[in-house]
This record gives sequence, structure tokens and C-alpha cells, in this order.
Amino acid sequence: MKKKLGLSMRGRHILEGYSFISLWIAGFFLFMAVPLGRSFYFSINNMESSKNGLQATYVGMLNYRSAFSTDIDFLPLLKSTMTTMLTQVPLILIFAMFSALLLNGKIKGRTIFRGIFFLPVIIASGAVLKELMQQGAAQLPIFTQDDLFNKLGGFIPENILEPLLKYADSLTLVMWDSGVQILIFIAGLQTISPQLYEAAKMDGATKWESFWKVTFPMIIPMLFVNTLYSIVNMFTKADNKVMDYINQQAFQKNNYGYGAALGWIYFVLIAIVLAIVFIIFRRSLAASEGRG
Amino acid sequence: MTTLKIRQLSDISVKTNAVWKHTAAKRGRSIVGMAFYYFVLLSLSFVFVYPLLYIISKSLMRPEDVADATIRWIPKMFSLNNYKIAAEYLNYWPSFLNSIIISFGSAILQIISCSLIGYGFARYRFPGQAFWLAMVVFTFLVPPQTIVVPLFTFFLDLGWMNTHLPFIVPAIMGHGLKGALFVLIFIQFYRQLPHVLEEAARIDGAGAFRTYWRIMLPLAKPAMLVVFLFSVVWHWNDLFEPNLYLLVPEYFNLSQSMAFFNGIADMSAQQAGASTGAASAIGQAPTLQNQIMAGVMLTILPILLLYLFTQRYFVESVERTGIAGE
Repeated sequence: MKKKLGLSMRGRHILEGYSFISLWIAGFFLFMAVPLGRSFYFSINNMESSKNGLQATYVGMLNYRSAFSTDIDFLPLLKSTMTTMLTQVPLILIFAMFSALLLNGKIKGRTIFRGIFFLPVIIASGAVLKELMQQGAAQLPIFTQDDLFNKLGGFIPENILEPLLKYADSLTLVMWDSGVQILIFIAGLQTISPQLYEAAKMDGATKWESFWKVTFPMIIPMLFVNTLYSIVNMFTKADNKVMDYINQQAFQKNNYGYGAALGWIYFVLIAIVLAIVFIIFRRSLAASEGRG
Repeated sequence: MTTLKIRQLSDISVKTNAVWKHTAAKRGRSIVGMAFYYFVLLSLSFVFVYPLLYIISKSLMRPEDVADATIRWIPKMFSLNNYKIAAEYLNYWPSFLNSIIISFGSAILQIISCSLIGYGFARYRFPGQAFWLAMVVFTFLVPPQTIVVPLFTFFLDLGWMNTHLPFIVPAIMGHGLKGALFVLIFIQFYRQLPHVLEEAARIDGAGAFRTYWRIMLPLAKPAMLVVFLFSVVWHWNDLFEPNLYLLVPEYFNLSQSMAFFNGIADMSAQQAGASTGAASAIGQAPTLQNQIMAGVMLTILPILLLYLFTQRYFVESVERTGIAGE
């Protein structure tokens, strides 16, 4: 064997490992670490463009303070994004789980149905979703037309019915948003061995029981992945108002410092939400890992 | 002897009878169950196909059809006129070419870089690995908005505005749009492959990179397909980054041109409303609606076709990549 550089086996292994990921590390500094640092620097300065490029004057936490005090648009936008996230993410998870169970059964045309359920990820994301929403095509006509409001009005009091129907309206968007999550759940369901179900059946478990005692604990890791994905997706979606607002502040009003500060506030908020998710899932994840 | 035989036979017949009865009862139940099952599946499918049906139906309507309240889905006369107008407004072929360069270029580069990086993470143990892996996850979680301003000034200083470089260069390094997610997918995929093949290759004297290139990469086809399709679709539909770095209409991709077209349509509808009163604005808006939908159809048609042909492999390979593992 030729001996290169006089490295030990272990040393060579480490070097090879690093050479595979070196490209990513370089990119990490160029496109993540340095921009993140500079963005923080921007946020505590007042950036003004002059002939020699950007001129920074230190203003401390002024940008952050004005986001919470003088800016009347930012906080309501943040609040509405949070409420949409909190109401829609659980719905997405439940719906994705339900669909995955449906699509995992042995049925004819399974591939076609799976293809259909994933369709909105292909077409109704980004710019196209905006146009569809503008024309009101992001709501099913069952809820808006057809006089459903008046028909149900006889049975349910109006002040309960109205938010209920509004919620139902957003269901279409929820369903369109759950394509990736459905796929992840299906992939998870495939990994559960049929023997577990057989054993549960032998022990006299009903379908309902075997879902909660076998299926559910087995796909908790996927539930975790999906929760993370849904939250990140919600926060960075094309129709997210906060994203638009930050863009507008930074690039239309050329207020780079303030835009960067808003970006950081947004980031911290997302980090808090994700940390809470981590804490919630930590115990059940540890349990499922222990099982192997 | 004969009685025994008869007895055996009757036993068997009893048994088969019982089995038959059992399955029949089961089947009777399952037919109702199946019907319900398909009903649920079909009605859900409708929700998912609905936007596509809406786009197709609206885009084929003439202005009269849109205004006609009796027509909901099928226009009286099919007209491709909307498509002609939309294609003109979209500046279709140049925008299409830009979209292709951005999405297919980035997707192919991301496959190459992310699979290399994912392999390094999945198959090597080195000090600092846990830290870098955490950084990959971190990169996925940071919203693009937080770092957008410095990135913009960075690319501006490099003179990369109105070029495809802000998409291509990060993709080469395994970053770019959702690059971290793709790295994670490849890590997950390589982790579940057996070590035997690699060991055999190494014993036969292949170097680290050769082992990767000749042995492991060809095995990663399912993961590559998933990453490719996701990357193409997300780049195709992305509006955020192109809007930052491509500022001149000649460099617009299709999504951008579409948004631009929508803006023009909105403005002209408003002007029509302002100049001739609200009454005509109601008549005016739908005529633009169908042109916009024709534009939308033209925008999504290429990836729709791509999806149509790869859909089967795609759904299968998501299962095989084991994306779902932690």
C-alpha cells in the first residue's frame, strides 16, 4: 500500500470525512454565518447608502425598540402570522396523518391518488397560489356559495357559525399545504412491520386501539419532522405577510438596518416556537429511540 | 374405509364451507367499507384537483363566458385567445428559458453537491461532526428574511445582480434554496445503505472519492430523484430570490413575469374602474381573470408535465429514501 502524508488510518479517515463536507462548510461561512453576523451588525446600525457604498452609524437597539413601539404595522402582522401558524399546523398534521392512513391501504389506483394529493405542492405554491387566492379560488364553492350560511343558520347560533365557516374556508389551504407531510407520514407508515399489527390483533386489539398503541407511537419521529417542517414552511411561505413587510422595509424604503432588525426579531420568534416544539417532543422521542 | 373417506370428504366440505362463509361475511362488510373509503378518497381528491380544474376552465373561457352566470365550469366556446395574450405579456420564451436555467441548473448542481456532502456526514466519523450536523439543521431553520439584506449587499458588491450566479454558486456549495434540507435527505439515505459494498471497494484499492463516485452514488438514484424534483419545483415557483437578484424584465423567470402580468392586469382593472365608473369595472375584471389564469397555466405547465412523467417514481422513491427517519 502506498502511504500518503504519513497519516494514520484514523487521521486519514477524518481528513476524508472533512474533505467531503468542506464544500458545505465553505458555503456555510459565505452564505450563512457571515451574512448572519453582518445582518446583526446592520440591525444595530443606521445604514445609509452613499457614494462609497453603505455608511453605518451606530444606533444601538434603536431599530429593535422602534419595531415594538413606533411601527404600527409590524406587531399586528406578527400576531396574525402566529395565530395562523398555531391554528393551521395542528390541522395540517391531523389531516396529513389521516390522508397518509387512507393512502397507505391496499387499494386500486393508490399511486394515482398519491399523485393527486401531492399536486398542490407542484402547482399551488409560490406566485400561483397568490393569484388563485386573489380570485377566491383557494376556497371551495361549497362553503362560500350554495347558501350554506343561511341553511345552517337555523340550527347553529350565528356567532358560533361565522368563525366556524371561516375556519372551514381555510381548510382548503390547509389541505393544499400538507402534501409533503403526507408523503413523510406514508414513508413512516411503510417502516412499521406488519407483525406488530398481527400481534396486536391476536391480543384482541381493535383497529382503533392498534392505531393508538402501535401506529401512533411508531410514527412519532415523523410527527416531529412534520411539525418542524410545517412550522418552518408556515413562516417562510410565499403568502406570508411578515416576509413581504420585511422586504418592503429593506428594499423599497431602503431601510437596511431596520429590515435586518425585523428579520432578527422574526428569527428569534421562530427559534422560540421551535424550542417549545423540541421540548414537547423530547420525552416521546427519547422513548421511541429507546425502543429501537 | 369408504365411510372414513366420506367422512373426511364431508369434513373438508364443512371446513371449506365455513371458510367460504367467513370470507363472504367479511366481503359483504368490506364492500360497504370500500365504497365509503373510495368516496372519502375521491372527495378529498377533488379538493386537490380543484385549483387545476379552476385554472384550466377559466383560462379557456371567453370574456362573455366569464360574465355569464349560467356557466360555471364548461365554457360555451373554447377559446385559446387568452393563452395568446398571456404568452405575449409573459414574454414567454425568454422567461421560460430563465426559469429552466435557474431551476434545472440549480437542481442538478444541488444533487451533485448535496449528495457528496450527505455522504461525508453519513459515512464518516470525525471530530466536530455533531457540531456541523447541528449547523446543517440550523441553516434549514433560519428564515431567509434574516440574512437577506447582507446577502443582497454581498451579491451587489460582487456585481452578480441580473445574472444567474446568486442561484448557481450557492447551489454548487450545497446551499441555495432549501439546500440544507437536501443534505439531510441524502444523509438519511446513505445511512441506511449497508457498509459491505464500500468496504469491498476500499479493500480492492479504490480511494475515498472513487468509492463514492463509482459505488455509492449510483445507489442513491431514489434520493437523487426526490431532491431533483423538489429542487426544480421549489426553484420554479420561488419568487422571493428572483425578485431580489433579477431586476430587469429580460432576466425575469416565469413566476416573476406572471406576478408582473398580474400587477399590470390589476392596474388596468383599477383604471377602467376609475375612468368609467364601478359598473364597467365589474365587467372588466373577469376578462382579465381568464387571461391571468391562462398565464398561470403557462407558468405551471412545464413542471406539471415533468411531474406527470416522474410522479410514479417520485412517490415510490420518497418511501425508499427513508426521508422519514429522524
